[in-house]
Order: sequence, then C-alpha cells, then structure tokens
Amino acid sequence: MSKSELDPEMEYDPVFLHSRREAVVIFCLWVTALIWVVPFCYFNGYGGNVDPSSISMIMGIPTWLFWGIFMPWLAADAFTIWFCFFYMKDDELGEAHEGSDIEEELAELQAPKQSSQEGGA
Amino acid sequence: MEVNLTTGMILAAGSNSALFTFCLYTLAVFGLAWLSNRLLQSKSFMSEYFLGSRSLGVWAFALTFAATSSSGGSFTGFPSKIYTHGWILALWIGSYMVVPICTMGLLGKRLNQVARISGAITVPDVIRDRFHSKYFGLLAVSLIVFFMSFNLVAQFKAGSLILQTLLTDVDMFHTVSSVLFGSLTNSGGLLDGVNPGYLLCLFTFGVAVIIYTTYGGFHAVVWTDVMQGVVMVVGVLIMLPLALYQVGKLAPSGSSGLEYTTREMAKMTPPEAGTATLRLATEQQQDLVLRDDTWIPFGSETDQQRLLRLTTSVTIAAGQTEVLNVGVLELTARGDIERKMALLTPAEIDTGIIVEDVITEPYAYGSQPDQAGAYVSGPGPSATDMNGFLPVSLAISFFFMWAISGSGQPSNMVRLMAFKDARTLRLSIFTVAMYYSAIYFPLVIIFCCARLLIPGMEAESDRIMPAMAVFLSEQAGIAWLAGLLVAAPFAAVMSTVDSFLLMISSALVRDIYQRNINPAAEEKVIKRLCYLFTLIVGTAAMIGAINPPQFLQDIIVYVGSGLAACFLAPMVYALYWPRANSQGCMAGMLGGFAAHLSLYFGGIFANGSFFRPYRIMNFDPIIFGLLVSFGTVYVVTKMTPAPPTELVRKYFCKATKKTATS
Repeated sequence: MSKSELDPEMEYDPVFLHSRREAVVIFCLWVTALIWVVPFCYFNGYGGNVDPSSISMIMGIPTWLFWGIFMPWLAADAFTIWFCFFYMKDDELGEAHEGSDIEEELAELQAPKQSSQEGGA
Repeated sequence: MEVNLTTGMILAAGSNSALFTFCLYTLAVFGLAWLSNRLLQSKSFMSEYFLGSRSLGVWAFALTFAATSSSGGSFTGFPSKIYTHGWILALWIGSYMVVPICTMGLLGKRLNQVARISGAITVPDVIRDRFHSKYFGLLAVSLIVFFMSFNLVAQFKAGSLILQTLLTDVDMFHTVSSVLFGSLTNSGGLLDGVNPGYLLCLFTFGVAVIIYTTYGGFHAVVWTDVMQGVVMVVGVLIMLPLALYQVGKLAPSGSSGLEYTTREMAKMTPPEAGTATLRLATEQQQDLVLRDDTWIPFGSETDQQRLLRLTTSVTIAAGQTEVLNVGVLELTARGDIERKMALLTPAEIDTGIIVEDVITEPYAYGSQPDQAGAYVSGPGPSATDMNGFLPVSLAISFFFMWAISGSGQPSNMVRLMAFKDARTLRLSIFTVAMYYSAIYFPLVIIFCCARLLIPGMEAESDRIMPAMAVFLSEQAGIAWLAGLLVAAPFAAVMSTVDSFLLMISSALVRDIYQRNINPAAEEKVIKRLCYLFTLIVGTAAMIGAINPPQFLQDIIVYVGSGLAACFLAPMVYALYWPRANSQGCMAGMLGGFAAHLSLYFGGIFANGSFFRPYRIMNFDPIIFGLLVSFGTVYVVTKMTPAPPTELVRKYFCKATKKTATS
C-alpha cells in the first residue's frame, strides 16, 4: 500500500516515517561495512597475500586488519556518534495503553453474547 | 609426584578467586532481586514483571541489551577461538562494529511505539495485536517456546560447564560435590553416570538464577545485567594493558609488545595432537600421577629440543615402568618451545620420563609450508577443516549472523519494548557501540598475546580466560584482580539465561493463558502464575540439563539463526510496511522456519549430521532462511487482500483529519 493508496483523510505518523528513514540509513551502513570489510580482508589478508617472513604491521596489528577492521570500526563508531547525536529524532513515542489489547478482546468476546441476547429479546 | 605445577597452580589460584567471586555475586544478585520485588508491589504487575513498566533509562537499557547479547560465549568460546585461530578472529567478529546500531536502531524506536499503541508486553503480543490475528500470535508463541526451550537447556549446561571449568582445581569443590552427589551418580536412574562436579555447578548456578529471576522479574534481570555488564568491560579494560605490558617485557628493544607478538605469531605453526608412550627409567615405589597439564621435554641432545604436554591425566602404577597411548599435544613452533622451556623449572625439565612412539596428526589447515603465517592471515588454522577456520563465504555469513540475525532475536526485541523514550534509545545505541568497541577488539589483542604468554593451551583452550586472568594478575602482584576477571564469564552467561527464562514464562502466562484461555483473569491469579511458571520452566530446564543433548554449541547456533529466520522478516514488514497482512507475514514466518530447518535436515543426508547443515555455496543456512522469509512475505502479501483500514490507521497514522474535525 503506497502512500497514494492510503485514505486521503489519513496522514502517516511522523514517528513511523522517521523510524523508517533511520532504518534505511542503518541498513546502508551495514551494507557499506560488508562491502568494505570482507573484500578488503580477502584480497589483502588471505592466502598468499600475507608474507609471514616480513609481516606488514601498523601499531602491531597486521596491516590488512588495521585497514580492514580496526579503522572501519573507528569509522563505524564515528558514524554511530553522528547518527545518535545529530541525525536520529527524539520522537514522542506516546503513552503505553497498558491492558488495552486485553480490554479490546474482552469486548469482542462479549459483543456476540450481547447481540445474541438482544436478538433473542 | 607432580611433574609440572606451573599451570596447575595458576589455575588453582584462579579457581579459589572464582569460588569467592561466585559467592559474592550470588549474594549481590539476590539483593537486587529483593529490591526489584519491591517495585512489583506498586505497579501494573504484568507490565512490570515482564517489561519493567517500559521505564528503562540509558544505563539500564544499554547494559541489559549489551549483556544479554554477549552470551557466555563471549568470555569463554571467543577467547578460546582467538587463542586457537589467531588474528583472523578480528574478521570473524568484525561486524560487531555495526551490531549496536543495527540491532537497536533498525527496529527499536518503531517497535517500542507499536507496543505502546497496543499495550503489548511480549513479542507474540505485538504480532497478534498488529495484525489482529489470534492464530498468528499462537504461531509466534509456539515458535518461541520451541526454540527457547532448547536454548534454555543448552544455556544452563553452558553456565554449569563454565562454573565447573573455573572451579575444577578447588579441592573443596571436589569434596563437596562427591559428598553431595557422589552416591547419587552411581545409583542408577536419571543421575547415573553424571559428573558430580557438573551436577553441583548445575544446581548452584541454576537455583541462583531461578530464584532471583522468579522473585524479582524483569527489573531483577536488568539490574543484574547492569552489574554483570560493568564487570565484563572493567575486566577487559584491565586485562588489555597488563597483557601488552607482559609481552612488552619479552620483546626486543625498539619493538612494541604487540609488534613482537604479531611477528612471533607469523612464525608459529599449529601444535599437533596425538598419542605417545611414556616410560620411566627406573621403577617407582608408589603410584606416579601425571596431571593433564604436565609438560615433558624430550628429544636427544643432538636432535632439536621437543616438547609435549599431556592432554589426559595418567597414572603409572607402582612397579610399572611404562604406559601406552597417552593423549598428548606436541608444540611444533620453535619459538613456542623456547618460551615454554624458559618457564619450566629444572625439576620440571628433568622429569626422568622417556617419551617414545609419538604419533600426532597435523592440522587440516595451517601445518603445511605453503600455509605459513596461518595465525596472522586468513582463513586461519583449523584442526579439522581443509578450507581453514574462516573461508570467505563464512566471513560473509558472520556479517549476516551477528548484525542482521541479532536484530531478529525475540530476546533483543523484548528489550527494545522496554526503554522509556527515544532519547534513551539513541544514547543507548551510542553507549553500546562504545561498550562493544571496548570489549571485542581488545579481546582479540589480549588473547593473541596469550599465545606468547601461555603456550600450549590448545588442549584446554576453554580455560584460557581464567588462566590468562590469573597469570596477568599474579604477574602484576594484584591477587584480588583474578577474582574480578574470572567473574566475567559467568556474569555473561547468567545475564543470558535469566532473560531467556523470563521470555518462556511470559509466553506461557501472557500469550497462552491470559490471551487465549482466560483474558478476564484477576491480577492476583496472573501474579501467582507468573511466579509459578518462571519457577517451573527454570526447574524443568535445569532437570533437562542434567543429561543434556551433546551438541551444546550447535544447538545455540541453530536456535539463534532459526529465530532470526522466523521473526526478522515478519517484524520488519509489520513495522514498516502498511500493506503487510497476516497471511503474508505468517507465510514468511513459516517459510523462514521451513527453509532454515530443511538445510539442517539436508545436513543429515549430505554431511551425516543434523548439526552439520547443508550449506548452499558454503553460506550459512541463516542467509537462505532470511531470503526465503523476506521473499515469501512480499509475494504472499501481494497475492492476498490488503489489511483492514482501521489497523493501518491505528498503527501507521497520526490522528486523522476526520477525527480531528469530528
């Protein structure tokens, strides 16, 4: 059901729209991390791509892991900070309607009884 | 006669600390349960007992989420894997860089809002209310009870094994366990043949978790998670500099400790496990007991020095001079042998034991000359798999497994329904991201250092965490530190078990009894049932864990990926697609379940075991399960009628113009 399919009288809840947009951004981050991390590590750190006799390192970490995991991890943290402090909206999530689902069901259970009683009367 | 005391003494000291810490811990969690129970007196019971009244603040929400997600495996299995396979574990765990933002951010805000709209307390509640479908709710609760029951038993076993591992060198532990359970385990029946030590740990661990969870409910679970989460991160942050300092002392000048570690790891070759014959030069007057951590140097003077350790305890009876087919692990890396020899005392080197007929098996990957540097490159050494520890297809699978499958875990979803506002969510995502960064990459560094500091632990790599904790704290001269450090593993497993326990009892009381059998039940009845079912479920799981299924880790993996294959797609569509209907989402849930299960059944025919699933193109079944589930929801939804307008309006729209004007 696209937006145009909605009843013209209805308007999407901004919490839903914000949440969906934020979820898309997060999913893109996951895809980016996957696309960078696995191929980089595979092409630089697997099999014959590492020379054990003169292992290349940065700060003691094998270079392929430094650029393949360590730095992306820091970048992901930086992104998370931006996302949490500058992008994500402080939406009002509303009051919790504790017990409303049970009340609704009880009402539904009683409705047929009432209508049959009314019909019988 | 003890030939080698070094490792044994280290572990014994650690185990004493572990015993003390465990007792202290148990007291603390009971205190927290008592405080939590007081909250139950004053609020809506069901919402408080299972969801903490949706009032969790940043620290409580962030740490309960982090601690529940980091199961016991993070502090036993993961260090053991790092030690055994080397630097490649950084890639194995790599997707944790985005796990907090994915598992909390993808669904969190919207799920919390939808649960508030309907008053839902459990995950099946959300599904049932969102689609107004009793049958969908029942399907969800059935799958949760099915998967979680297996998992709860497996986690109880995991917790008990961890505790047993930590206490195994405490004399008092063996005395108490044989006094309490020794006769029971030899008398036939349910307990026959069960290790008394395991039973003692199971009952101690189980009773503690069941009592505090039953009595205190969700808040007790959350507060103990917070305490446990703090212990975990503090433990790691103390270990990191200590480990780097210790390897720094071994390094030549001009080279940092970690550089030296990586360079030495590049030269390492995997040890080889096998058997050997041990012979004494002269007969002994009394029995000679050799512990399973005994090191025996051998090799002629002209030959190169060789070194092996026993992997099982051996007794050479008085009057005998040899014992055949003893389990051994022989070090093959020259650096490892030299470092270990330097740690042995002259008495430990000159054992008087002659080693003969050594028959060992090289690793399936990592032992050949063209596989040199296996500990610093992919796919990492593997004793059993010719493709290595982490072929690239598996690396991709783990990216799905941790970040995406983690989002689909109902135990995580429940927590996402419990935070108090959106601000709490975004601050918690940040907190958990920092928390995981402070734990996981440092753990890789710490246990790579452990390869140099404590060589030859492959034979009992599950004990590398307590062994390293005690080694580091003894070297630093801070004895109490060991207690804090070894507390982390059972802190982690406790925080996972308690939340699973509460999930099953909520499924039974709320989703089955209250919503299907007696919606008009009075609160005092519900209250009694909550206590009763939590107690019964916990006790049943504990009894199930007395003789648990063999494949512990495999069950945990099957359940984790199975739950994601069932729940992620329906939940994503339910929250973000107004057109989603109950037919489509139910089909997706069943489709994901069937696709995932069929690959495990396929494993019986292809690989001879249910727990060695058939892997399409070598990818984990979770990927196939998720694809089928997402695809099925979309196709079936498009083929079936749109959902009722009032449901769309209730969950996707703000107050309508009509309503506003009327």
